[in-house]
Amino acid sequence: MDMNEIKEIFFQECEEQLAELESGLLKLNDGDRDPETVNAVFRAVHSIKGGAGAFGLDDLVSFAHVFETTLDCVRSNRLEPTQDVLKVMLRSADVLADLTNAARDGGSVDGARSRQLITELEALANGELPQPAAEAVKAAPVAEAPRPAVNEEGFQPVAFSFDEFEASEPPTIEPSTFEIVFKPKSELYSKGNDATLLLRDLSRLGEMSIHCDMDELPALDRMNPEAAYFSWKISLKTDKGEDAIRAVFEFAEWDCELDVALAGDASAGAGEELPMQPVPFDLSLLDEEAPAAVAEDEDQSAEQPRDLNDAAVSAAATASNILQMAQTAARAPAETAKTAGPAPVTAAQAAGQQGASAATPTIRVDLDRVDRLINLVGELVINQAMLSQSVIENDTNGTSSINMGLEELQQLTREIQDSVMAIRAQPVKPVFQRMSRIVREIADMTGKSVRLVTEGENTEVDKTVIDKLAEPLTHMIRNAVDHGLETPEKRVAAGKNPEGTVRLTAKHRSGRIVIELADDGAGINREKVRQKAIDNDLIAADANLSDEETDNLIFHAGFSTADKISDISGRGVGMDVVKRSIQALGGRINISSRPGQGSIFTMSLPLTLAVLDGMVVTVANQTLVVPLTAIVETLQPEASAIHSFGASQRLISIRNSFCPLVDVGRILNFRATQANPVEGVALLVESEGGGQRALMVDAIQGQRQVVIKSLEANYTHVPGIAAATILGDGRVALILDVDAIVAASRGQSLKPEMTLAAAG
Amino acid sequence: MARKNTARKTLKLAPVLDLNEATALHEKLLALKGSSVEIDASAVERIGALCTQVLMAGARSWKEDQSSFTFSQVSDAFIKTTQLVGVDIAPLMAKET
Repeated sequence: MDMNEIKEIFFQECEEQLAELESGLLKLNDGDRDPETVNAVFRAVHSIKGGAGAFGLDDLVSFAHVFETTLDCVRSNRLEPTQDVLKVMLRSADVLADLTNAARDGGSVDGARSRQLITELEALANGELPQPAAEAVKAAPVAEAPRPAVNEEGFQPVAFSFDEFEASEPPTIEPSTFEIVFKPKSELYSKGNDATLLLRDLSRLGEMSIHCDMDELPALDRMNPEAAYFSWKISLKTDKGEDAIRAVFEFAEWDCELDVALAGDASAGAGEELPMQPVPFDLSLLDEEAPAAVAEDEDQSAEQPRDLNDAAVSAAATASNILQMAQTAARAPAETAKTAGPAPVTAAQAAGQQGASAATPTIRVDLDRVDRLINLVGELVINQAMLSQSVIENDTNGTSSINMGLEELQQLTREIQDSVMAIRAQPVKPVFQRMSRIVREIADMTGKSVRLVTEGENTEVDKTVIDKLAEPLTHMIRNAVDHGLETPEKRVAAGKNPEGTVRLTAKHRSGRIVIELADDGAGINREKVRQKAIDNDLIAADANLSDEETDNLIFHAGFSTADKISDISGRGVGMDVVKRSIQALGGRINISSRPGQGSIFTMSLPLTLAVLDGMVVTVANQTLVVPLTAIVETLQPEASAIHSFGASQRLISIRNSFCPLVDVGRILNFRATQANPVEGVALLVESEGGGQRALMVDAIQGQRQVVIKSLEANYTHVPGIAAATILGDGRVALILDVDAIVAASRGQSLKPEMTLAAAG
Repeated sequence: MARKNTARKTLKLAPVLDLNEATALHEKLLALKGSSVEIDASAVERIGALCTQVLMAGARSWKEDQSSFTFSQVSDAFIKTTQLVGVDIAPLMAKET
């Protein structure tokens, strides 16, 4: 197997583990004391450590080890996970992520930071409270060498006399003898694991005797050389306890049958009479082969390639084990639900929820393959539409069987398309999780106390959208913390909680994903914004702007209201860049702000960039597609409902309210004169700025799903047009950019805004 | 046991007997079936459970065929690993050396 490939898998697993780690820590931070949460956090760090060890990533291993040690204290209730403790842990999780990235991309990490954290973590493990300055001296010598053994953590060497020792409670567990039955399955070997290695690790725990059960071993010519036949009965005298024994088998847990019992238990009695072979103490010879060997001899001898191979294999095993763990975790709740029989709905729901949070079985697929498939399905949809159309045109008597077949075909293509799109859909969770780190960092830098609340992390959206969402979101979060929230003192003075809240939510709304970022800060200082805009010649000094318009000024290029330019945000390349990136995704961004209460940024993004449901309309003999999501209703205007307003504006009265009429053909310059509204159809659309507009078109042809073909990629940007598509008859139709059209109808020029969007 | 005159074949084991080697070792052993065999494990640096299984299955089959299956030379690592996994190869050690 290719080493790099396996390493890449490891790093992908790492990413998942890190996400798991962070979400677990955040849960703990919120007061969750479920032991399963602590376990999940512990497992995440442990898996990273294991994999890193296999690849010889020493920095990562030693940091993860200290981290794990401290987490183990939490797990065993020796350390109370207070806010202060979790602060250290969250920062440790960040450093762990940095170290992982450094290991992957070869970058460097802030060594001082990780050393500092190691000191703090060890102090915590030693039962000291997180007061870095005071404890540094005490903990410093410990920081020199990370503790090697998992079980000794938490105990500092203490000078004592033996008299005292006998009197007081001994810190170690009494040595006891365990009977272990270990029966590997064939999968254990096929994953590159080896029973020999497990037995070697086991033998290190104490005094071990072993009996190898060969009863199942068939004759040579009938055996499968890669199947498991041996099983073992082991008697182990150790002071490390059962947990340590199970820890040896941790990564093989699902690939073997394992039974650990204290000697003398009824279940282990059967094995007593079997001849046991004592295992020699000195197995140092075999250690060289240990994949995670911390090489004392650094010489790049001929051993090297094979060690790498070893590492690769065990890492692969780790990777597949992690997958299996996830599978089992996902399966467990399902089984719970099943065994409950006629379970009350709540139980099933709870299980379902757990299932949703645990990973379901997955495969990794190259993104290119998915994209190719999506492209092909897009062509299929177009082709299917063409076929339907030609059948309808040629088949005047309407043979029902063909029509029925076509209908079914249409439904099938639709379903295929939906399913294919679902492959690309990913929850926004990873992006949201990244944001919590950014909030932490900015909060530290600005000395503000911030709490990030996220909602709807499982909302799914196309992967492209997710990838491109991170950057604008980062920017906005920084802005929210840096500019939006006040300092704790100011907040207290204003009668607010000194801890600011930033709320990040995602939800689906009418075929789009809406992401909202709300802070409970001071809100936008409109006076300041206005003054700044006047200073920068963005608006005239006497311009009369609504609150909404003033707020939206911050999206202009070269606009920053921060008094001083800080490291964090406010270089004047702020919100305009955000707006452009959102627009480039086919999305819109809005701000609403209430002085003293905070601001809310709302982004609305398409779920996919590949297809859309559209209404096909005719305007001045041109075929256009209007995105269905924008349309509220369609109506046939009556002459009595049309009212003129000003020089060229017209209004339409709908159910006792007035709505501006927008002549699409006029705005797009399809015709020179105004169309007669009574001859056409009005599409009532909801524009992003709020309020409804009636788009006037000549006729509606129908409603269909169209495959979006980028106009920019194939031609160049056209103001007022979002993209193009190919219709069933093979003609190209333009997809209308409703917001641009509405904006143009307000008298703003179509051009500058759009060139901006095109640039993004 | 000393049947040096009959067709006695020697199988020299590779240094690393892991998952990848198990099938190869199995084939090599099968090819030697019918004749006495002497296993040279002097070069073995590492042996996994799968190859141990193959060797033990071989030893059994040879015993059934009543021909000789012995280890002529063994490395320290080989001995230690077999002890670790609880496989006793002492009865299979070549007697004449």
